Formats: sequence, structure tokens, C-alpha cells
Amino acid sequence: MSDVVYTTTHRVVVPFYVYAGLAFLVATGMLFTGAAEFSGHYFQPHILAITHTMALGWGTMIILGASHQLLPVLMEGELYSVKLAYLSYTFTGIGIALLVWAFYIFHMGWPAKCGALLINAGVIAFFVNVVMSIVKSKKENIQAIFMLTAAGWLAFTTLAGGLLICNFTENILPDGSLHYLSLHAHIGIVGWFLLLVMGVGSRLIPMFLISKYDSPKILWSIYGLINGGLITFIFIFLREAVSVLYMIPVLCVTGGIVLFGFFCRKAYRQRIRRQVDEEMKISLLAVVMMVLPLVFLIAVIVTLMTISADVHMVLAYGFTIFFGWLTAIILGMTFKTLPFIIWNRVYHARAGTGATPVPKELFSSRLFNIMAVCFIIGFISFVAGIVISNGIAMKVGALLLLLCAFLYNANVFKLLFHKDRML
Amino acid sequence: MIALTEKAIEALAALRWVFDPEIGLNVVDMGLIYELSVEEDAKKILVLMTLSTQYCPMGQSIVDSVKNRLELSYPGYEIEITVTFEPTWSMEMISAEGQEFLNR
Repeated sequence: MSDVVYTTTHRVVVPFYVYAGLAFLVATGMLFTGAAEFSGHYFQPHILAITHTMALGWGTMIILGASHQLLPVLMEGELYSVKLAYLSYTFTGIGIALLVWAFYIFHMGWPAKCGALLINAGVIAFFVNVVMSIVKSKKENIQAIFMLTAAGWLAFTTLAGGLLICNFTENILPDGSLHYLSLHAHIGIVGWFLLLVMGVGSRLIPMFLISKYDSPKILWSIYGLINGGLITFIFIFLREAVSVLYMIPVLCVTGGIVLFGFFCRKAYRQRIRRQVDEEMKISLLAVVMMVLPLVFLIAVIVTLMTISADVHMVLAYGFTIFFGWLTAIILGMTFKTLPFIIWNRVYHARAGTGATPVPKELFSSRLFNIMAVCFIIGFISFVAGIVISNGIAMKVGALLLLLCAFLYNANVFKLLFHKDRML
Repeated sequence: MIALTEKAIEALAALRWVFDPEIGLNVVDMGLIYELSVEEDAKKILVLMTLSTQYCPMGQSIVDSVKNRLELSYPGYEIEITVTFEPTWSMEMISAEGQEFLNR
């Protein structure tokens, strides 16, 4: 009997999940203490610290962990190098902590530069691992192409981020770092997060819904629209073209999101199991929530065409990405993937020889449900607070999101410390 | 297509204790077992099975569970499992009991 599915050892994957969970807690803690700052401009030390904790510590770290787990499954081959995965974790993990601290105290000297350098090293290690795993594998797969392209965009984002950090003190770019912020941010948001979540989601969502639906044609269209939109955006930005032209990439990305929503809806309708669990419900909610940042983005472009960008709309736009759909899909997918990893660790060797708990029983569904409610109400409250400039709504929202992060971590640690309960 | 010898039926009954951890349905009612034969003289059990998806990260665990369960029920027997994705598993392969379970 040969291995039918290749998996990466939990020792590689679990540390990424732990780091991400703690980063989420730190980010919501900073959000709670600094909620009032969301009434002003977005280019502030604490907001930069929160954004990078969410984007790198929370979003990127968990996606890196999940990618190391998923890539061998997608490619039907082993991960190219476990050592590179550990290197990626170590470099990125230390780098993020340094960078966030540097932003928080706004020290753009050695802490920010070392942080950026380490993050770039970690991302390169990941990129090499993805490329080599694909080169070594037996078959081609559209989801792997999504992952490879997204990893390339991530490397581009962190390289641009590193240049922006150096530009604070060395003036290596023609304009100030603030000028390039939206370029750096959108390569990361669209090229890394959106592309990767769609690619991986197109495999995981039907799989966890127990749906046989698949459509490579739709997925290739999404791939073209997202990448086409991003490349168009970069071109328009660098040519400093008129604001109205930004509607072209917005339309492309909107098309990609709509198609992805259509793909998920088809998968949902063709599911085999009627019951849909709470983890999948919040993951599907994340897909719907992808539309929200687009609404704020269009508002930003419209104000940009008339006067100057409305900072509240810019803040709401960023918030609905990092604390919105990205967080929603991570909250849902963590409790679809991590229980299986832990179940495999604890029960794999003796599976089938007695009654074992199912993966879903390794964490508390009650805690999960309370966490989901805190997340939804907290998110709505904070966004409303930004839009109407209401400090109390933001504070309440931040408190609920902090509670959500605490409950998330409590459930993750419950999973990690699960002991054999075989009957 | 399952070879329905008496011994094979017994072995299949044993496999009703092996569950797909995500769905909670046993592998027999899921229709994952394509063929099963028990060679009493050679003390060998041959299983031809599939998985609901080629990308299932729990695939190896399900296959190992089948092997572990048969080793437990048939000590001294050699268990040979072959995994195939031809034909591809489809929901029509789920038994009537399984369909009822999933529609709850």
C-alpha cells in the first residue's frame, strides 16, 4: 500500500497557527487601546502597527502554515523542504515582531530595517519551497498555480515594503513612502490574500461542503481577472493616470469576486450533506463580505475624483479587508483544518481500531459560536464607528473583537493540548 | 462492485466501524469500498477502495483505518489495500442508509 495523500508534519504547520492566533490577540488588543486613532488619518504609527500585525502576523502566518499543509495534497507530492519551512517560520516570525514594534514606536531605523529584511528572507524561503515543490510534483493543478502566483506577489509586496522602510531614512525612491503605500498595500491585498484565498478556497470549500462541483474554466477566469486587474492597477499607478481609470482594475477584481461567489454558490447547491456546520457558514460569510471593501473602495475613488480621498472611507476599506473577510475565513477555516491536523497526530496510528472522537469534537463548538457572534457584532460596530466617527461604537467593537480573539485562542489551545480520548 | 462472499460480508461488517471523520458516515455506506475479497487459504484480504476526493488530507488516515480495523478483526491475515480513483467516487455510490444519514 502506498501513500495516497502526502501530508506535512504537524510540527511544521502548528507553530504558524499558534503565532497567527497570538498575533490576532495582540492586534485586537492594540485596536482596543488605540480605537480613538481610527478617527484620524490612516498613516499613523499605531494604525500601521495594527495593520501589519493583522496582515503579516495573522493573515500571512496562518496562510503560510496552511499552505505548507495543503501544497503536498494539491501537488500529490511531498513538500520540497521541511527545513525551508522552519526557516520561513523563524525569519518571518522574528521579522514581523520587529517590524510591528518599530511601527508602534515609529523607529524606522534598525528595528524596521531588520524586521523587513527578515520578513523578506522568510518569504523567499516560502517562495522557493512552493516553486520547488511544484517542479518536483507529478501533476499540474490550477490551485497550485494560484498559490505559486500569490507567493510571487507576496515576495513582490514584502520587497516593496522593505524599500518603503529604507525610503523613510535614505530617500531611495522619487517620492515619499506614503505616496507608494497604496501600491504596496494592493499588491499584498489583491495579489497575495485575495488570489491565495480564492485558489485555496476553491479546493477547500467544495471539499468541506462535500460537494463534487468543480469548474477549472471559472477558476481560470478568476485568475485572469484578479491578476489582470492588479497589473492594470500597477500600470495606472506608475503612469500617474487620472483617478477615473482606477475603475478598470476595480471592475476586474469585482468580476473575479463575483465569479468566485458564483463558484461557491454552485458548490454549496451541489453539496452532498444537507447540514452545513458553523465553521463553513462563517467561511461562506467571508465570501459575501468580500464585496464590502469594494463598496468603500468605490467611495474612495469617487471622492478622489472630486476632492481628495476621504480618510474615513480609506480606514473603513482597510478595516473591512483585514478585520472583515480575511479574518472571517481564517476563523472558519482554522476550525476545519486544525482539528484534522491534531486528530491525525493523536489518533492516526490506531484509527479504526476503536471509537475515536471526530475532529469536530476536539474543540468547543459553544466557544466557537460565541466567538463568531462577538466577531460579527464587533466588526459591524467598529465599521459603523469609523463611518460615523463614533468613538463609543469603535470601542465597543474593539472590545468584542478582542473577546473574539481571546475565544479563538482558547479554542486553538484546547485543540493543541487535546489528549487521547480513545474508548 | 463488492464481491459478496460470506467472508467478504463479514469483513464489510467490520468496516462499518470505520468512519469518514469529516462526514461521520462509515466507509461502506459511503461507497468507498469498491471490492473486497477474503482468501482464507492464503490468509489474505484484498481491498480495492477509493476516497471521496483525491485531495482529502484525511485520505491516508481513512485508508490506514480500514487496514487497522481488518487487522484487528482478522489477526494473522495479510491485508492488501489498493486505492483507485477510477471510477471517480460520486454521491450515487452512497447507500440508501447513507443518503438518509446525510439528509438529516
